Amino acid sequence: MSSLLSAIFLGWALGANNQANVFGPSVSSRMVKFWTAAILASVFVLLGSLLEGEACIKTYTGLTRMTLQMAVISSLASAGTVTLMTVLGLPVSTSQTVPGAIFAIGLLNRQLYAAGMGKVVACWFGTPVGGVIIAVLLYYGLAAVYNRLNINLFQSDKMLRLCLIIAGCYGAYTLGANNVANVTAVFVGAGVLTVFSAVLIGGLSIGFGIMTFSRPVIETVGKKLVKLDAFSALVVVLAESVTVHIYTFIGVPVSTSQAVVGAVLGVGIVKGFNTIRRRTMVNILLAWLLTPVVACFLTLVIDFVTHLHCVPSP
Amino acid sequence: MFKRLFIGGAIFKRFFKEEKQVEQLIDQYLDNLKMAQENFLNAMDVYLEKSFCEDLDFLIEQTHKVESKADDTRYEIETMMYDKALIPESRGDILGLLEAIDQIPGLFELILYMIQTQRLGTPDFLVLDLKELIRVSLECCDLLIKEVGALFRKSEDIRSLVSMIDNNESQCDHIERRIITRIFDSELDPFQKLQLKEVVIQLGEISDQADRVSRRMHIISTKRRV
Repeated sequence: MSSLLSAIFLGWALGANNQANVFGPSVSSRMVKFWTAAILASVFVLLGSLLEGEACIKTYTGLTRMTLQMAVISSLASAGTVTLMTVLGLPVSTSQTVPGAIFAIGLLNRQLYAAGMGKVVACWFGTPVGGVIIAVLLYYGLAAVYNRLNINLFQSDKMLRLCLIIAGCYGAYTLGANNVANVTAVFVGAGVLTVFSAVLIGGLSIGFGIMTFSRPVIETVGKKLVKLDAFSALVVVLAESVTVHIYTFIGVPVSTSQAVVGAVLGVGIVKGFNTIRRRTMVNILLAWLLTPVVACFLTLVIDFVTHLHCVPSP
Repeated sequence: MFKRLFIGGAIFKRFFKEEKQVEQLIDQYLDNLKMAQENFLNAMDVYLEKSFCEDLDFLIEQTHKVESKADDTRYEIETMMYDKALIPESRGDILGLLEAIDQIPGLFELILYMIQTQRLGTPDFLVLDLKELIRVSLECCDLLIKEVGALFRKSEDIRSLVSMIDNNESQCDHIERRIITRIFDSELDPFQKLQLKEVVIQLGEISDQADRVSRRMHIISTKRRV
């Protein structure tokens, strides 16, 4: 059980950081109470993990051979990378730290499923692009329907609020389905956990992160999204959720934050204004490059340290 | 099945409880506005027909009470909206709108107090013109209340109401200029001329404010399209 602590920590950090991407706009603008959002998100994350979490877990377990020690090292390195990047103030994605750590384990094993790893890396690039395309399509589609509705201000408000909550629940569901693999997949690969126990522990730890530490993150990250009007915020949350769900079908864990960035960019294209600052783009690019490299390096360092032997002096 | 629908409906109602309360408060606010308008009209009728009397003092007091009640309702709406009701941009729109509408009962009160405290007498040759100015100005207010209803209930076309208010406002400007010209063409005491001019300007301000609010509502309605 103690070997799973690093995974639980990773799940906790994932939940705390990613809740803002699905319920940020509604909570930070006080349209939904934090606890309502937190409970709904935790329930739907768990549901997503249990019902659709298996596909992404299978992708990770097929990347390389794992032992329990390797699983703990990679999980610890991933958690360490998340902490380090957060301290450095860079946007971090567990969907990049875990493959980075698995890559390092593959190097140590001298066994890596290159095609699988290639698919994962390709999806890192595809996530924001998918977010842009889906956001543009959704914006035009939903706007056409919304503008045809003959509803008054109060009805429109109620509808948008309800849709934001439903979209938030769907976002939480896809977060659980897609990202649970980041938390416990390596332990399935090591044979420590069954797929069911992996999705259950993963889902619960993400939910724990949402319930205990997502509030301050929502307050800061959510406010960046709320600068958009309610309709645009709805499109962003929906586009992010659909993008992540598509990658769940493909079986590759991706970053919800990167999907959100793509979706915000898509809304910006439709509305004709620049929604992303150049500085934010530079930070994201830097994090894309740094995150897997740091995770890989940290895994190699932890492995090196754990294999050090104390040799008594002659 | 019915039980599930009932539970679903109850949860939905509970979730949107604040919106429902804001809707009710806005209705209450509009009722107060109508009441202030009626009291103002009655007070002006009494003033123009009978000049100063107890009835006038009573109606002025009533107008003041209704205006204060409208203020209280507005503050209640403000508090409720900042306490989670409605989406942020709607909160700003509605609060700005109510603040702008609230200047109209404020004008009713101001005009009546001006007449009461300055013991202002109205010469007979102005009575009909003043009555016409009051009638057209208050018609603007009626149309404005309809427009608020159209914005919140989607019962009528906002654009046609904006155009009607705009026409009435132009008519009020015309009457206002006519009255001021007649005041300064008359043999009245110069000090009384200035006092009367001030009252006429404030009466004209009612339709001006209604027009400003009406245009604001048009913008709110237009910008809601995505």
